[in-house]
Amino acid sequence: MGFKAWLVELSMQKPKQVFIGILLLVVLAAIQIPSIKVDTDPENMLPHDQADRVFHDEMKKQFSLYDMIVIGVVNTEHPEGVYNPKTLADLHQLSEAIQVMDGVIRQDLMALNTVDNISQSTEQPGTIRFEWMMKSAPETQVQAAQIKAAVERLPLLHNTLVSGDGQAAGIYVPIVAKAESYRLSNEIQQVIDQLKQNSPDSGNEFYMAGLPVAEDTFGVEMFIQMAISAPLAGLMIFVLMWVFFRSMLLITAPMLVAMGAVIITMGLLIGQGYTVHIMSSMIPIFLMPIAVVDSVHILSEFSDRYKPGEDPKQALKEVVGHLFTPMLYTSITSAVGFASLAFTPIPPVQIFGLHVAFGILLAFALTIVLVPAYIVSLSEKRLSALKDHSLETNDDGKLGRLLAGIGRFSVAKSKGLVVLFIVVSAISVYGVTTIQINDNPVRWFKEDHRLRVADKVMNTHFSGTYDAFLVLEQTQQEALKSDLKLTLEKLAPGNQQLVELWTTHQDLPLNEMLQKLAFALDDLAYDDADQEQLWLGMLDEVERAQSDSKYFLSPEGLSYLNGLEQYLNGSDLVGKSNSLVTLLKTVYRELQGGDAAQYRLPVTSDAAAQTILSFQSSHRPDDLWHMVTPDYRSTALWLQLKSGDNQDMSRVIALVDQYVQDNPLPEGVELNWAGLTYINVVWQEQMVSGMLNSLISAFFMVLLMMLILFRSIKIGLLAMLPLSVTILFIYGLIGFVGKDYDMPIAVLSALTLGLSVDFAIHFLERCRAIYRKTGSWPATVEEVYQGPARAISRNAVVVAVGFTPLLFAPLVPYITVGFFLAMIMAVSAVVTVVLLPAVINGISNKQALFSVNNDQKEKENA
Amino acid sequence: MRKFNLIKALLAVVSLSTAGTLQAADLQDADAIVERANLVSYYAGDDGRSEARMLIKDAQGREQKRQFTILRRDRSEGGEQDFLVVFSRPADVRNTVFLVSKKPGNDDDRWLYLPGLDLVKRISAGDKRTSFVGSHYFYEDVSGRGTEEDSHVLLETNATHYVIENTPVDASSVEFSKYIAWINKDTFLPEKIEYQDDNGALYRRVEVLASADVQGHITVTKSRVSDLRSGGQTTLEFRFQKYDLGMEQAVFSERSLRKPPREWLKR
Repeated sequence: MGFKAWLVELSMQKPKQVFIGILLLVVLAAIQIPSIKVDTDPENMLPHDQADRVFHDEMKKQFSLYDMIVIGVVNTEHPEGVYNPKTLADLHQLSEAIQVMDGVIRQDLMALNTVDNISQSTEQPGTIRFEWMMKSAPETQVQAAQIKAAVERLPLLHNTLVSGDGQAAGIYVPIVAKAESYRLSNEIQQVIDQLKQNSPDSGNEFYMAGLPVAEDTFGVEMFIQMAISAPLAGLMIFVLMWVFFRSMLLITAPMLVAMGAVIITMGLLIGQGYTVHIMSSMIPIFLMPIAVVDSVHILSEFSDRYKPGEDPKQALKEVVGHLFTPMLYTSITSAVGFASLAFTPIPPVQIFGLHVAFGILLAFALTIVLVPAYIVSLSEKRLSALKDHSLETNDDGKLGRLLAGIGRFSVAKSKGLVVLFIVVSAISVYGVTTIQINDNPVRWFKEDHRLRVADKVMNTHFSGTYDAFLVLEQTQQEALKSDLKLTLEKLAPGNQQLVELWTTHQDLPLNEMLQKLAFALDDLAYDDADQEQLWLGMLDEVERAQSDSKYFLSPEGLSYLNGLEQYLNGSDLVGKSNSLVTLLKTVYRELQGGDAAQYRLPVTSDAAAQTILSFQSSHRPDDLWHMVTPDYRSTALWLQLKSGDNQDMSRVIALVDQYVQDNPLPEGVELNWAGLTYINVVWQEQMVSGMLNSLISAFFMVLLMMLILFRSIKIGLLAMLPLSVTILFIYGLIGFVGKDYDMPIAVLSALTLGLSVDFAIHFLERCRAIYRKTGSWPATVEEVYQGPARAISRNAVVVAVGFTPLLFAPLVPYITVGFFLAMIMAVSAVVTVVLLPAVINGISNKQALFSVNNDQKEKENA
Repeated sequence: MRKFNLIKALLAVVSLSTAGTLQAADLQDADAIVERANLVSYYAGDDGRSEARMLIKDAQGREQKRQFTILRRDRSEGGEQDFLVVFSRPADVRNTVFLVSKKPGNDDDRWLYLPGLDLVKRISAGDKRTSFVGSHYFYEDVSGRGTEEDSHVLLETNATHYVIENTPVDASSVEFSKYIAWINKDTFLPEKIEYQDDNGALYRRVEVLASADVQGHITVTKSRVSDLRSGGQTTLEFRFQKYDLGMEQAVFSERSLRKPPREWLKR
């Protein structure tokens, strides 16, 4: 271990240089931090090139869909709900104000004052009317009632713009980017506040919902949380160490290590240009307790060995020499646990895992160089003051006695304990099988958060504020092209102009090709009067192909879409759906006089095309392109869901799968999902399978390291025992309690491994050392429960308590992580201290287990 | 009534100047300029026919094409007129017909015939600023906006154009707060019109891209509307224009909806 000695020597001989070097690193890292970019977009849980995400983005573009803020105006006091002049005036004013805000896609904003009413004219019977639904706010209750009657006639608006119970009206605000939603929601809130101030008795309540606001707001609050939680965690650890050591001098060193590790790691992350995602924002909180632990070891041992008046360097050398290997291994195993997150397919989780792993190794390195440098820089007087705070005096108290009792107990009742743990594990396995995999970004806020409240209120009144899009696409075009080619060739065999015409256009997308061909033939017919009839004949064929190519105007395409939509509307999971079919039926009904019996699809493609042409004479003809592409070969069914839970979305997916199985898609038609609610399901599925990989790989890597460290298969396996039991127990508990397996919970699994194996390493190392020294198991137990068990318990408490500030965070994922990490620390400490001696007690040949000679043999066998 | 006399008086000037008097003195009266521009744009000859090709392009560059023939007959110069719009392409809307009876200062009468549904439908035209068949043109752009619906101010007269600011008399009836028109001094064709919203932001532009002399009338052959908010635009090309064909009023009867007047539609 030449390197180790050299490192310690360096830090003791040149403490100043060490300080300056580290300080430089810290400063270099710290100047990166101001350029921090926070990213809370759950879409980024998937790589940019992930297939579903790419499709989702394409569909957003194809159908001009934007992320939306949904504002709800609710009135439960007025007997007519929102349909009263005052509420509608407020709605009108609010909507007008939002329209002109920066970042709002004005022409696509949907509210009562920006949409059209399609109706029968009351003055001229038999006349269809396209007019603004609410150009200006109504002045009388009668006018308000007319708006109500109009909205309830229009399926595209009813339950979307105004709730079925009439108590809530919505403003759907499309925005240029999700990252604008927090700012916009604040600007909107100001208008709302003004409205409420102007008429406090209106009975109007305003709510804001929609995933973009939730996500962006989460980002802002997360940022604030980072600034609070991390220093708070630091403070907690500081206080705790004060309780343990009661020496400011002593605890300064670990605090320096922790701060150095945190700043350098965060600086590195930000400096590389990575965005700080929800997981990365927790890096400081993860690193701090872990970083402190090693220096606590060094300081404890140093204060034990050092005698005032002696050269502290000698004592230091001994201490570091003694602790280096176990510290290195515990650091590596923890780092491996985190680094295994790199096996998940989720970039923010990968970045988090790798950086925490780096931070842990960095903390180890800092401990090895900084703590000795710190100690040698202390004056002798201060050093002797250090001695006064000997740890032993504190530890003969309750904890010491308790631990000694546990040791005796676990050996005495070893058989019973082993059986108990087997039973608990078996029950836990069952618990694991009952785990509910589910997540929903809105639930990242606490129940009483205004966004959660808004979410609840709006989804009670409306059909749902969560969007999913079912995209059907007719992909077959080659057949159409080759059919047309054959037909044209038959009309003029060997015609050179036709051949040229075809070759210049054949590689274009179907729709474009047909349009261009039609125009070219039209020109030819005009210019080449001699062959006019021939060209016009071809033009007819091209036009026929053109009509045929518009699949979602054809009775076949429309009736499939219609069937699917009706089936989905029949399910409780889907609040409402809007589609081309809804639009066609509505316009068709109004064209036919408005009778409810006429609410049906036009029977031919031409009739459908002409129905659409009529709709296009409205104020918002472009709304059509949210439902179908201009070539009518791709259509989107907009589903409004009441719940953004991944489980519910998965059920809807299953529902559609079932339908497609029972009613096979027409030839050439492909069906795919898009929408944020769907994207959330995708990354969750990736995460679940990814986490399993990560867990398995971490397990084997840690096992491998244990085998190398202990050079013994048996001890290596023993070392894995406490963490295995702990993970099973924790996840079994999650299953039983019914806590959803969400993103933070998933991430915990792998890193639990790295953290909880530390205890076993220390425990087994010391057991073996003491056994080799004493040769007696009872004596070993006795001694292990003096020192090592105490160190384990203390470390468990440090780490567990270090995470407790998370419990007070207003954001649920922080609470989850804090709670479960504390829990994991506690359980794994208990399992290590109680289960390991009991199991070892049951192994008859302890000589073989701990003996050096056998080590060699086992190594060969392995 | 006074206004009408003014139009009559101006009309004499128009017929004299259409060939393009070179050094005509600049006009000062904004109303007069606008009236004249209205006549040049929408009342050339006593009747007329034109074949239109429309290219609707959205912000993503996706194109849709439409082709239709417009027949027009003036009941009185600068006053009421009738339009018949017959679609020929795409094939699935072929023979769809719009019949518009324009009544300046009043609601137009509008009818629609959908052959696929074999349905004649009257359309209530309370608002003329709705899309014309899904394009970026409004009905009003096709048939003309009543000159009395805006107040006009001559902002500037430069070497080539009269620049006129138009503010709606009834602001609640339209989506713009005002529009500026650049009217060619020689031809009186409004060559560019830009619309502003309540914030004074430009959001819509109508431009003449090409024009030609047809039977002594300056005639737009290509124009474009740009929706500056969405980034979409529609280009309209006119071909085979003819004036003073001698169409009868019967051509613009409801009967023509189901049975389009072939003789006037063919080139």
